[in-house]
Amino acid sequence: MAVVHLQADHRRFTNGQNVITVEGNTVGALIDELEHRYPGLGHLLTDGASVAINGELIPNGIFERVEASTEVHFIAPIAGG
Amino acid sequence: MTVATKPRPYKYVGTRPVRHDGLEKVTGKARFAADLNMTAQLHGAFVRSPHAHARIISIDTSKAEAMPGVKAVVTGADFPNLDIKHPEFDTAVNIMARDEALYNGHAVAAVAALSAKQAKAAAAAVEVHYEALPAVLTIEEALADDAPIANFKNRTLFTKDTEPSNLASINQFDRGDIAAGFAQADIIVEREFTTTAVHQGYIEPHACVADCGQDGKVTIWASSQGHFAVRSKTADSLGWSTDRIKVIPAEIGGGFGGKTTIYLEPVAALLSQKAARPVKLVMTREEVLRATGPAPATKIHAKLGATTDGTLTTLASTMYFDNGSTKGYSALTGAMSVASYKLPNLELHAIGTVTNTPRSAAYRAPSAPQAAFAVETLIDEIAQHLNLDPIELRLKNAVVEGDLTAMGVPHPKIGFVETLEAIKNSDHYNSPIPKGAGRGVATGFWFNIGEQSSATVNLNEDGTAAVITGSPDIGGSRASMALMAAEELGLAVDRITPIVADTESVGFTDITEGSRATFATGMAVVNACRELISELQQRAATIRGVDIEQVEWVDGTAQIEGQDPLSIAEITALAKKTGGPLTATASLNAAGAGPSFAVHVADVAVDEETGVAKILRYTAAQDAGTAIHPSYVEGQIQGGSVQGIGWALNEEYIYDSNGEMENASFLDYRMPVASDLPMIDPIIVEVPNPSHPYGVRGVGETGIVPPIPTLANAIADACGVRMTALPMSPPRLLAALNQRNGN
Amino acid sequence: MQRTHVNCTVNGDQVDFLATDDTSLLNALRDELGLISVKEGCGTGDCGACTIVVDDKINCACLMFAPEAEGLTITTVEGMALGEQLHPLQQTFLEGAALQCGVCTPGFLVAAKALLDRNPDPTETEIRYALAGNLCRCTGYDKIIRATQEAAVQMQTSKQRGAST
Repeated sequence: MAVVHLQADHRRFTNGQNVITVEGNTVGALIDELEHRYPGLGHLLTDGASVAINGELIPNGIFERVEASTEVHFIAPIAGG
Repeated sequence: MTVATKPRPYKYVGTRPVRHDGLEKVTGKARFAADLNMTAQLHGAFVRSPHAHARIISIDTSKAEAMPGVKAVVTGADFPNLDIKHPEFDTAVNIMARDEALYNGHAVAAVAALSAKQAKAAAAAVEVHYEALPAVLTIEEALADDAPIANFKNRTLFTKDTEPSNLASINQFDRGDIAAGFAQADIIVEREFTTTAVHQGYIEPHACVADCGQDGKVTIWASSQGHFAVRSKTADSLGWSTDRIKVIPAEIGGGFGGKTTIYLEPVAALLSQKAARPVKLVMTREEVLRATGPAPATKIHAKLGATTDGTLTTLASTMYFDNGSTKGYSALTGAMSVASYKLPNLELHAIGTVTNTPRSAAYRAPSAPQAAFAVETLIDEIAQHLNLDPIELRLKNAVVEGDLTAMGVPHPKIGFVETLEAIKNSDHYNSPIPKGAGRGVATGFWFNIGEQSSATVNLNEDGTAAVITGSPDIGGSRASMALMAAEELGLAVDRITPIVADTESVGFTDITEGSRATFATGMAVVNACRELISELQQRAATIRGVDIEQVEWVDGTAQIEGQDPLSIAEITALAKKTGGPLTATASLNAAGAGPSFAVHVADVAVDEETGVAKILRYTAAQDAGTAIHPSYVEGQIQGGSVQGIGWALNEEYIYDSNGEMENASFLDYRMPVASDLPMIDPIIVEVPNPSHPYGVRGVGETGIVPPIPTLANAIADACGVRMTALPMSPPRLLAALNQRNGN
Repeated sequence: MQRTHVNCTVNGDQVDFLATDDTSLLNALRDELGLISVKEGCGTGDCGACTIVVDDKINCACLMFAPEAEGLTITTVEGMALGEQLHPLQQTFLEGAALQCGVCTPGFLVAAKALLDRNPDPTETEIRYALAGNLCRCTGYDKIIRATQEAAVQMQTSKQRGAST
């Protein structure tokens, strides 16, 4: 279980909610659960988002472990110059 | 993730040795891609669309193929058609047009011949039958209700839309309640800002050599910011497997983000395969400007509210960033970069448009400078209206650890306050403003990124070392790698040779972008060194006949109580007898990139007769985390500042009504020269990043963010004119001065 | 196309090569003589990456045709060091981190040497104008100017020392 923070872009899938408590032991499991609850959202998170876990930006972090108190932010991908 | 940080003071990190690749660069021996020549090499040339938008009805290459010296011709038909959802779809289409030419300069065919002259003549003989289509050249045109479609294959990202559209992407970030926030505000400023496309302006045009054998395997010598990415993008564009492609990095003559994507390599590979000979492709400067990555043109509406004590309450902004012909560099990071102030109420709309202009590419802190132009100008106006010092106002609102970024993620440990204070306490800020001049201040933020890196460290028989990475060195990163390895191993930096290896000689490494090389690749180097030290301790234990627990590694030697220490050279000399060569490899996907802040101050005099803005003094402070090689950190700060100055004052893309670039040369695309500038005084601030063993944040990008608003604010202070359109070139500034005077 | 036999002096050596009338001197130096320090950044004389000395004056090699070199004396950065001894400018550029990517560096060194050869004690402004024909996109010019100032000081000092011995 973890506390998931979504971007405004994602809210159209979640009836406007942007902080959601989600079951799952890994980021990937959270995404699966979100897809189950809000069809279409999981796809957007897998393809187009980076993840911050307790504030630390983790590239491609779908296998990262999460706990009940873990704060997970899905954010748009960042590249650079 | 916990990282074992190395305590200060350091012996090598923070010193300024001569860089290892410097000698060959001052003696003219360094080989950039265009300097390489292979036996029996052919030369290539492109056929480019003269239309901003056209359907390609047919291409007849027969006349070209019959011309003297011509060995191969390729067109879009020779390339596989990727699925529209393939991540490299847009890159592949940009490399070679298929049925639709998307901008003036878009490649539609290429020729390889014995000489460059023959190739050029043959390219002119390729007959392309176009059906001209209506073109869209600006953000306004792209957004118009009855706008023609600029690219029939474009679908809007981050939406469920499946129809062609002139929107590349739509994103939104928000928090709090902007209506309530503006209601609370005592002062609200609101403006619209526009900027044109600008080019990265690297002095070395794109170039490569490809040599494809009869076995279908190709070796490519490339000038790029990431040769593993050249390999993967080439593989994707051609539908080839990765093992068919070896990419050898040439020296790179500047990139600034523009060489994170590719234009030439798949074309060279295919021409080489067809001709069964090596093929060299070198762009002209005109091709670079017409067909490679400008940074997006923008139109930004922004509204900022504050209370009379200078507390910023609310920011609302809609940012349009023009991607060019296909999705390139986005609006997204522009909006995301507005992260420097607490701002309880925020609503940011980031919208990417598609037009029939060259596909945009990343340019140093991509999309942040344009966003900073808007926000930092409005903050300056608020400071001016409230009669507050612009640094004090920013200090009052500056984010610290735990405050939220625009994306809602809490900031890790950051040094924004320290960087603001560095300018506040600087000699420049505390000196009087020269008579008749104005002073401007502005700030910039960039995320910095981690990503994947690999490193191998080999100890030689005599105790010298080679540090092998896959990160192209675009500004001194080899020296940084050697310095970190020196610190870890306790080995003098001139006994370490840093090497950038090809795609078959080192583990996968992502592009040198996002200010990540010294951070992430440096971390891989550190990890490899630490593994090597464990092995050195084991060998020392073997040599002395003690347990490994009794061996301590101190300052480059194995220390065993009651015995003489063993140096690296003494251990490597016995390597053969203690288990063989000493080598270690580390790979990682680095997390915990440290955001970086910059604060600039400039004194500017405006010549009211000519509209020339002359910079009299410029100081740039930036948080480097830790400066591994301070000279090259200063160099990044100074170089980024001057690119931003060029963007602010002179550089712009000018198109005619048919979408042909009118200033596709360095004469007419006016970049700063030495006589335009004063010294750029750098101030390195060091608030270490706790996620890196030496506290590195990465310094490549942030320096380009503050200059535009810094100069706009200085111009406003000097002559009372708020410039909201770039460039603030003499004719535009003169027009604004005339308007101020009521003329 | 017919080719012209061109004889000239390059970096102190008598050399000859064949070139068509429309070959640029830049291409001849690179392709016929292997002098790869002469870089093409623009091909239109705007960036200075192909700056060479032709009979004591700096010129962009891209703006000359190869046959025009007949009988002339040309110096490129390959001819700048004296054997194992780097020219002071090469040394101060290295020590002062006056290069990042390095592609413009040969042109800057040639232009800076030409300046110091005719004006051993230039002001900052004189250096900035003397190097205004060379584009650098990495450094912001600051360290290039400082390295040139430092080389001028070193060359003056060693000249005085040479005069006093």
